[in-house]
Amino acid sequence: MSDEIDITQLSTQELLELIQDDLYDGLAEQVTASVRELLKRGLTPYDVLTKGLVAGMEIVGVDFRDGILFVPEVLMAAKAMKAGMVILRPLLAETGAPQIGTMVIGTVKGDIHDIGKNLVAMMMEGAGFNVFNLGINVDADTFMNAIREHKPDILGMSALLTTTMPYMGVVIETLREQGIRNQIIVLVGGAPLNDAFAEEIGADSYCRDAAIAVETAKKLIAIKRGEKV
Amino acid sequence: MPDSTGDSKTAFQVALTPSGRQGQVPRGANLLNAARQLGVELESICGGRQTCFKCQVAVEEGRFPKLGLTSRADHLTPLTPQEETYFAEHNITGRRLACACQVQGDLLIAVPEESQARKQIIAKAATERAIQVDPAVRQVYVEVRQPSLEEVRGDWERLAEALGEQWDLHDLSIDGRALPALQSALRQGGFAVTVSLWQDREVLRVQPGYAEGVYGLAVDIGSTTVVAHLCDLRTGEVLATQAAMNPQVRYGEDLMSRVSYAMSEPQGLARLHRAVILTLNELAEKAAASAGVSTEDVLDAVVVGNTVMHHIFLGINPVELGGAPFALAVDSPLDLRARDLGLSFNPAARLHLLPIIAGHVGADNVAVQLAEEPYAQDETMLIVDVGTNAEIVLGDRERVLVASSPTGPAFEGAQISHGQRAAPGAVERVRIDPQTLEPFIKVIGYPDWIAPGSVDLPEPAKATGICGSGIIEAVAELYLAGLINADGRFERSAAEVSPRLLLSGRTAEYLLADADQTATGSPIVITQNDVRAIQLAKAALYAGIKLLMAARGVERVDRVVLAGAFGSFISPYHAMVLGLIPDCELEHVYAVGNAAGDGARIALLNRRQREKASWLARWAEHVQMPLEASFQEEFVAALALPHARDPFPHLADSLPEASEERKARPRHRIREKYNKA
Repeated sequence: MSDEIDITQLSTQELLELIQDDLYDGLAEQVTASVRELLKRGLTPYDVLTKGLVAGMEIVGVDFRDGILFVPEVLMAAKAMKAGMVILRPLLAETGAPQIGTMVIGTVKGDIHDIGKNLVAMMMEGAGFNVFNLGINVDADTFMNAIREHKPDILGMSALLTTTMPYMGVVIETLREQGIRNQIIVLVGGAPLNDAFAEEIGADSYCRDAAIAVETAKKLIAIKRGEKV
Repeated sequence: MPDSTGDSKTAFQVALTPSGRQGQVPRGANLLNAARQLGVELESICGGRQTCFKCQVAVEEGRFPKLGLTSRADHLTPLTPQEETYFAEHNITGRRLACACQVQGDLLIAVPEESQARKQIIAKAATERAIQVDPAVRQVYVEVRQPSLEEVRGDWERLAEALGEQWDLHDLSIDGRALPALQSALRQGGFAVTVSLWQDREVLRVQPGYAEGVYGLAVDIGSTTVVAHLCDLRTGEVLATQAAMNPQVRYGEDLMSRVSYAMSEPQGLARLHRAVILTLNELAEKAAASAGVSTEDVLDAVVVGNTVMHHIFLGINPVELGGAPFALAVDSPLDLRARDLGLSFNPAARLHLLPIIAGHVGADNVAVQLAEEPYAQDETMLIVDVGTNAEIVLGDRERVLVASSPTGPAFEGAQISHGQRAAPGAVERVRIDPQTLEPFIKVIGYPDWIAPGSVDLPEPAKATGICGSGIIEAVAELYLAGLINADGRFERSAAEVSPRLLLSGRTAEYLLADADQTATGSPIVITQNDVRAIQLAKAALYAGIKLLMAARGVERVDRVVLAGAFGSFISPYHAMVLGLIPDCELEHVYAVGNAAGDGARIALLNRRQREKASWLARWAEHVQMPLEASFQEEFVAALALPHARDPFPHLADSLPEASEERKARPRHRIREKYNKA
């Protein structure tokens, strides 16, 4: 496979596909070069984001879900995506492009498992979401403060222990007490969870893996915004 | 919870412990048959005629949220006249004959060991180690001045005086339970007695005349197995070793679910505590009986276990260990009286608990270190104790670092599609012919390797599932045979040359045992998800090891010790191919079996080693894994087989070349088009 490719010779459609390929292979430099080239050709930052980066990450997500790609490959892809976003983010803000969505995510109090939650955060970023990752061992107050500050569409909570997962219910209860439960979509995940548990604590959905989290987030946002699904 | 005996229901949930088997059983099904259908073979000589009385089981009553059922004795049909007569004659309560009753509600059925047709294999036996015998409890013979009208002091005071004069033992006390027998012992022995002393400070027992025989129990409470070694405290000899399933398994397979149980059920902690105490008493009884001694003569015990087992054993609610910051109730070594915990040894028997290092690094790890002595090595020694939480020790003379890494239950067969515990019927070893891509398997309980395509296998050779060591070998062999690549992905192209590779969705799976080679009649396969589960587990372990190596500043280890029952069954070669352990001379990778039990025995027989343990627990440095900034990076790099970056020179000749397919991702349309143009 040759990396010597003259991107100025490619059509815009080919270049968008090249971004998707390069994301898949986790080639950050190549992705940024193509993003720059497309912007130079006058594509809106929003189009570069959705037709190039997000479309590419969607393919990565599907292959991850189907077991073809695994965590390392997805992380590489997410890193390449991030490199592209460094260029696009300020331009998106300037041009007032539509927001795909905002998420606040964290591993709940008592739990210090980080990696699965980070993977979800990266895949959500890959789907064009603005993600605020609060880290591990996050208590209800910290979640509430972040929600007030960032006004997210989605709250994501992770727990890897049967002993810590009940805390997700505590956070949801706090949302209710503060009267903001209905303003936010709550997604939960982690190895010991299942649909029944999510329902029991009043979350909107359980997501088995990062790819499903992205799919679910998009679907529920669309429903909430009254769009057709 | 819905009414589980509702008349309308035609089927019920039946779960069996300790096997963990569970499933739907139709109303009115005979319990013996139902158990068999669920894969639990009960002993039965008469074949269900209520005459041999071998198929005895017990109903565990109560609500079991984990299993999703409420079990009651009246969920079985009432006692038959035969049962009533037999149980009355033999003074047995709480038992049923599985062949005599029908299911009419949800049930949790306990199958006692003697009723199991194929008994659990527990490969834990005390190895012969050179231990200097210097026990905490010893016996001394002493002659005591007789009382007289002029001698107004009590018998105890005169005994203490004699011990001072004849044995140089001073400032002694006596256990209250030893006092009542004092006067009769003195008179029966003509004022000569044998005194059992704890730490040369306290008298535990006074026997008339000269007596011999003081014993101790070394116990390792593992989350799945409890092992007890009965030792002669004078000779150091192991007289008997007894093991049993940890009875807490029925309340939760893994540690955290037991913590949850203690958190959420009002009686949870009491049940968990009582269950383990009861088991310990039974083990002590059995060990004493097989050694021909009495538990009355057991005067000392050392108990080790992980932090959760340790706390529950002491009756301490482990709730704080359920989440960060994993605060321990106590981490120092403890000297207690066995009776205070309900242990029925000698009433004055003492009990020692080794110290704990950190929230997830318990007294069992301290015991392993006593046995393996990483702190006494010139070279770098790595000790890995694989379980749901892997404990890692890296040490030498200068420093010892410890950590626990969250590997999850995949190595115990959980999260694997055909996974099961190591028990008869489990595939424990796997070889795949790199040319034909055909598998050879070995099943626990059957001595021979089973060749691919074998038909008409005898029952014990039929596989029921695959256990931890089996899945490790299977994944390593799949990689060596080129059926999965270094990323862990199945090479779908191999399906063209091997009928063993079955395409499934967008990936593939490997047919390990044909339907007619299994006890269930369905084939056993290794799926893409199984490979992924093993990759995640081994990466967590390897990442932990790497962080300790970085903290110690070493690039390689000289010796790898595999501790724990599981370690005894893993093939070091396959563990290395998989990247479960770092590169090392293969001859320097070895299993030590139940090193925790051995360490408990060392502490039982040598009180100086208890001091050493106390020092070690303070001296060893604990590293909190997931908080280390580089953990994620190390984890991700360790997902590949054997590793994305680290070289494995000792495997240089056997690892497959990175295939072209690995480099060529399934998706690179544009570059390909461009290159062709």
